[in-house]
Amino acid sequence: MTAATTPALAQAASTGVITLHDVAFAFPTRTGAPLPVLDGIDLEIPGGGIVALIGPNGCGKSTLLRVVAGLLDPGSGKALLDGEPIVGPDPRIGLVFQEPRLLPWRTAADNITYPLELAGWPSERRTERLAVLTELVGLDPSIAGHRPAELSGGTRQRVALARALALEPEVLLLDEPFSALDALTRERFDLELLRLWERSATTIVMVTHSIPEAIMVADRVVVLSARPGRVVADIAVGLPRPRTIDDLDDAAVSRTAREVRAHLGDADAAESVAADLDRLAS
Amino acid sequence: MKRDAWLPVLLALAFFALVWKAAVVVGGLPPYILPPPETVVVRLVSAWLDGTVWPHFVTTMIEVTLGFVVGAGLGLIVGYGLARSALFERLASPYLVAAQAIPILVLAPLLVLWFGPGLVSKVVICSLIVFFPVAIATMVGIRSVEPRLIELGRSLRATNRQILTTLEIPAALPAIFGGMRVGVTLAVVGAVVGEWAGADKGLAVLINLARGSLFDIPLMFATLVTIALVGVALYLGVVVAERRFVGVR
Repeated sequence: MTAATTPALAQAASTGVITLHDVAFAFPTRTGAPLPVLDGIDLEIPGGGIVALIGPNGCGKSTLLRVVAGLLDPGSGKALLDGEPIVGPDPRIGLVFQEPRLLPWRTAADNITYPLELAGWPSERRTERLAVLTELVGLDPSIAGHRPAELSGGTRQRVALARALALEPEVLLLDEPFSALDALTRERFDLELLRLWERSATTIVMVTHSIPEAIMVADRVVVLSARPGRVVADIAVGLPRPRTIDDLDDAAVSRTAREVRAHLGDADAAESVAADLDRLAS
Repeated sequence: MKRDAWLPVLLALAFFALVWKAAVVVGGLPPYILPPPETVVVRLVSAWLDGTVWPHFVTTMIEVTLGFVVGAGLGLIVGYGLARSALFERLASPYLVAAQAIPILVLAPLLVLWFGPGLVSKVVICSLIVFFPVAIATMVGIRSVEPRLIELGRSLRATNRQILTTLEIPAALPAIFGGMRVGVTLAVVGAVVGEWAGADKGLAVLINLARGSLFDIPLMFATLVTIALVGVALYLGVVVAERRFVGVR
């Protein structure tokens, strides 16, 4: 890995630093006893780094992302962005959901500029930014006037990505962003995301269910345990950047994948132990 | 609408007139029971040209317009309140439903007694009858907003006001227009019922005059047709506004 091949990594690092210290979260329930979803999460993500969160269903990956996004207030512990507590949604953080979540009554262009509109940008500046954003995410400008219903799933998710990048965030949070796309499109989107990252030097946190996707995209794969989610492994991906699709054939990939899978297995085992304990307790 | 789209409408109208005419001829009905369609059309045109209908038409239109604006406006506000506050819904809905369950026909004479035979009582009756469908449609529409979109708005730091204007209102518009379609036709019913209960001008008054002192049955039918056309025109007006504001989704 040389500085010449990783320009973004070399520049970044000063902003977009996420620090989670002993973060716990519990959802209130009808019966009164809160349901613990996250427990004692410690995570340090450097500026410009890419971290993939992986774990069994319901382990709190999305909840963790929402805590970082400022949408959920952690019950205890600290969530910091660049050393300051995250107290609510922040313009320095962009969020892409599992589904595109576009406003069906707005055109693609108006969906992309929606954050700018809410932030009170005048229309000329919005138009300028729109041109930059469509280019950045590789959108065909001719779809600007179309409504989401007229667009393909991949194009809709591109629009959602452009919207998340509208305010030039330091951090991009992605909640299984390409899981609804077919395998080939998904691979292409992962690579495009990396190209985009090389240009914009944002910190990326991506929740995923796919081990190959996690390894392809991330510097580190963080494995969470079953609910309540804890960090069970933090595995460095030893692949050089910039990455290409051929890197997936690298021996390091299968080695890393095996390691991730082993820890996921531990997580599943922990889940069954927890279930057994629950049964004994009741 | 394309020209092709109008053809079935015209054919249906022609068929209706034909059945009407057939009923008159086959049944041998005298014009004071059921005048033939052509007589009604001729009387309709002449009544408009000689100024018989005009003052009554204007009166009714003012009542309908004001009643619709007041009723729909209140319906929007109360509907939003119902959607947003469970307490308000619990407190208000019994009265709303009870008010809706009492036939407007029974309330109309009372309202005329209270507010006089002029414009005010008609506007009150119209707004009462328009209010309910618009309020319910607004409540349902606002509640139909996807919580995921609200979460998106919050993640983009939208203020409560921005959530209302950029998410809740656009998402609720199709439902609200549905309520207004019902409401606008009911507004015509409200005006006619109000005039029936006591008024000196209006299309319902003209119907009363035509079957009573004037004994001009074709004029009565011509006025009926006028009322029906007013309803259709207002309904189409709402549909056009809906296309303009909601468009194709």
